[in-house]
Amino acid sequence: MNQHIRKIAELDRVIHEPGRLMIVTLLYAVDKADFLYLQHETQMNKGTLSSHLTRLEEAGYVEVVKTYRGKIPQTLLSLTAAGRSAFEQYRRKLKEAL
Amino acid sequence: MDQIESILQRPKLYNNIDGVGELSCGFMMLGFGLLTWLQARSPAGAIWHRMDVFAVWVGLMLLGIHYGSKAIKEHVTYPRTGFVEYRKRGSGAAIAFVVAAVVAAGIGFAARFHWNSALHLRLTTPVADFGLAFAVAYAFGIARAVRWKWAVVGAIAISTVAVAMLPEDTLRAFAGDASAVAGISGVTAGAWLLSILAYGAIMLVSGGISFVLYLRHTQPPAQAAA
Repeated sequence: MNQHIRKIAELDRVIHEPGRLMIVTLLYAVDKADFLYLQHETQMNKGTLSSHLTRLEEAGYVEVVKTYRGKIPQTLLSLTAAGRSAFEQYRRKLKEAL
Repeated sequence: MDQIESILQRPKLYNNIDGVGELSCGFMMLGFGLLTWLQARSPAGAIWHRMDVFAVWVGLMLLGIHYGSKAIKEHVTYPRTGFVEYRKRGSGAAIAFVVAAVVAAGIGFAARFHWNSALHLRLTTPVADFGLAFAVAYAFGIARAVRWKWAVVGAIAISTVAVAMLPEDTLRAFAGDASAVAGISGVTAGAWLLSILAYGAIMLVSGGISFVLYLRHTQPPAQAAA
């Protein structure tokens, strides 16, 4: 197998999916953000965004905290250390593959 | 890869999505400009020259800006388009500032070399350098993401050049006693005062337009849910 193709095959599939890649990239640039912000930036509907976040949470890449801002429920999301490292590795491998 | 880099920049740009950053900057510049103008226009014994009045003015201005922008974020921005907590700033902002300063110094040097006699830039160059640095920093920080903000960059640059071209007598007359207070020449004081008032007004107008556009293009949570 060509080395470049092997590099592509080594990419983290959890992050590689376009919707999840958008979420992880946005969260990488901030300390934390809420569900509404991600929805606004990604233009995904609630169901799709939730399912991607669940997948990322299961992989240990995203931490989800349910809290309140005043009396309004708020879902805060942040990348875990594993998530940050996985994203950095993903970018490195993608650069090598391209 | 370019798309990833572009998405990485989005949270930074989100900070001024509602124009609050520019409004804060505009209020601060106009606040300082107005106080300096009051000092220049009032006799030596007036309250505007007292340090405690200066401290209260600056304190009230900073408190107003801090709590005003916080209130807009809490009650308008976060419920409409979401909350973001930023990571602690790294060296990016410092690098942007240094790049802006170097570019502005280069332009200022070129301007001094070529237009010295024609535009009176010899005396106003520090102010013109500041204006050009401000235009470059604004272009780098804000205008590259929002196309119509290039008009604001143009307005900053034009007002900088316009102030630099003003006759020395006009600048000196506008400064009044400000040069004595600040210990600088009347021309520089006048140029500084006019520039800071112009930039403040430009920032307020630009921030105000951004805020109105933001309110028009986003919906409050109740309407969005309906």
